[in-house]
Amino acid sequence: MSAFSILTRGLALFMLAVFIFAPQLFAFAFEPLTANNAPAIYNQGSLLSLTLSHLRIVVGATLASTVVAVALGIFVTRPAGLDFLPLSRSLVNVGQTFPPIAVLAIAVPLVGFGEKPTFIALFLYGLLPIFENTLSGLTQVSPLTLEAAKGMGMSPRQRLFQIELPLALPVILTGIRLSVIISLGTATIGSTVAAKGLGEVIIAGLQSNNVAFILQGGLVVALLAVLIHDGLSVAERAVARRLGRPADETT
Amino acid sequence: MIEIEHLTRRYGSTVVVDDVSLRVEEGAIAVVVGTSGAGKSTLLRMINRLVEPSAGRVLIDGQDTRTVPEDELRHRIGYVIQGYGLFPHRTVAENIATVPRLLGWGSKRIAARVNELLDLFQLDPAEFARKFPHQLSGGQQQRVGVARALAARPALLLMDEPFGALDAVIRAKAQEDLLAIQRRLGTTIVLVTHDMNEAFQLGDRIAVMDQARLLQYATPTELLTRPAEDFVERLVGTVERPFRLLSLTGVQAALEPGGAEGEPIALSDNLQNALSQLVWSGRESLPVADPNGVIVGRISVGGILAHGRPPA
Repeated sequence: MSAFSILTRGLALFMLAVFIFAPQLFAFAFEPLTANNAPAIYNQGSLLSLTLSHLRIVVGATLASTVVAVALGIFVTRPAGLDFLPLSRSLVNVGQTFPPIAVLAIAVPLVGFGEKPTFIALFLYGLLPIFENTLSGLTQVSPLTLEAAKGMGMSPRQRLFQIELPLALPVILTGIRLSVIISLGTATIGSTVAAKGLGEVIIAGLQSNNVAFILQGGLVVALLAVLIHDGLSVAERAVARRLGRPADETT
Repeated sequence: MIEIEHLTRRYGSTVVVDDVSLRVEEGAIAVVVGTSGAGKSTLLRMINRLVEPSAGRVLIDGQDTRTVPEDELRHRIGYVIQGYGLFPHRTVAENIATVPRLLGWGSKRIAARVNELLDLFQLDPAEFARKFPHQLSGGQQQRVGVARALAARPALLLMDEPFGALDAVIRAKAQEDLLAIQRRLGTTIVLVTHDMNEAFQLGDRIAVMDQARLLQYATPTELLTRPAEDFVERLVGTVERPFRLLSLTGVQAALEPGGAEGEPIALSDNLQNALSQLVWSGRESLPVADPNGVIVGRISVGGILAHGRPPA
């Protein structure tokens, strides 16, 4: 990463932090977007606590998707699980084709309002990228490498943990990154079913026809997404380098 | 010593290896040659049970391999494949340490063994131990592959086309190095190749396979002078036959008393090289020198040629 891009990222992070902790400082910038003396800065709750609960639900759902998707990916690439590969592929694909809003609509009667339905929607939505990347990461390990590992007397478990997973790790991390980014955006609609999150700001703006609110909510989510995306990319490259591959191969 | 007894492998109705029996003496190199699809690799892979035999058995030093757990068996047998299958995420040192680590050796013992092997394969530990496979040339990768297979001092080494990915010059050097290392360590080797020259250069005995069957298992000289079937005769090459025979015979065999003019030939050389020197220098005979440079006799074109045909 060049000095310039580090500088811009650092600046973005700083601005984001200042905005979340002291949004009133930026009131002047949002004032022109309001009408009828409406407030320029979201005033129905603390941006900080909304951001934290937004992140909490995204991280929690992604962790859950990661555990399930990676476990599933490992299972269907073992000899015992190969038969389930098509089935699990279609199941996970269904999770993705289902619109999140529909998942919310179905989940609310079952688990009630709040974070739970949002969590379910994000969890289902996050499965596909991680599962697909786990599969491609595990299947792209060279058959020669595996043959050598087997020929030297590595047990299936040793092959999985010492060879296959380390080699697939950068690709799996890419899947997790995609999943986190999708979830960050998707989590905003969770606010329609009363999950605490940055979606509240946007929805409040929509309801009171206040463009300033909509913009604030959107900006914070977008900045979070960009920064988290960058951070995870750096982590992926570091892993790939440690695995002995030049960084340019994985980007 | 390894004994292969009536080994057979079937996939459905296709027989890939058909009732093969052969025996490799301790410290010998057996080369399995044949066209592709002849069942050579399957035969090799049945020795370390990467392929389970449909019938027959393999004894290593008298012990039936089926009585040993698969992984344990493979820890004791070195295995080198074409392309080597080095672990791309592990350094050269870590690659070589694979089997010792599986066996739970202490880290000091592993480090000492890795350095010893790197030295043996002429790879400077200071330079190569921490490199990754993708930073090595083909020849270096090949050496690491063999070093890795030898790490836990296996008595038996299985090699499947180990030189197939090398260009001609590096391959010749790698073959020489392997021979030197094998003579030094006394490892028994079973090597699969489709390259007849390689078979003649490395093999103490050569097994010729075709369409799943073992046609002949004999010394290189026997293969040339008494081929069991037409296929063997064609495979060893009727044109190259005399030259191969000469290359298998030492200068000692055609040594005559007396002296001659010209650049001396080493006593340890083979007759093919001696003939080539005679042809090139345009002489009828050349002196022969022992390793100390003392002239011990001479060698002549006529004397050499007599060794290029089967004994009457």
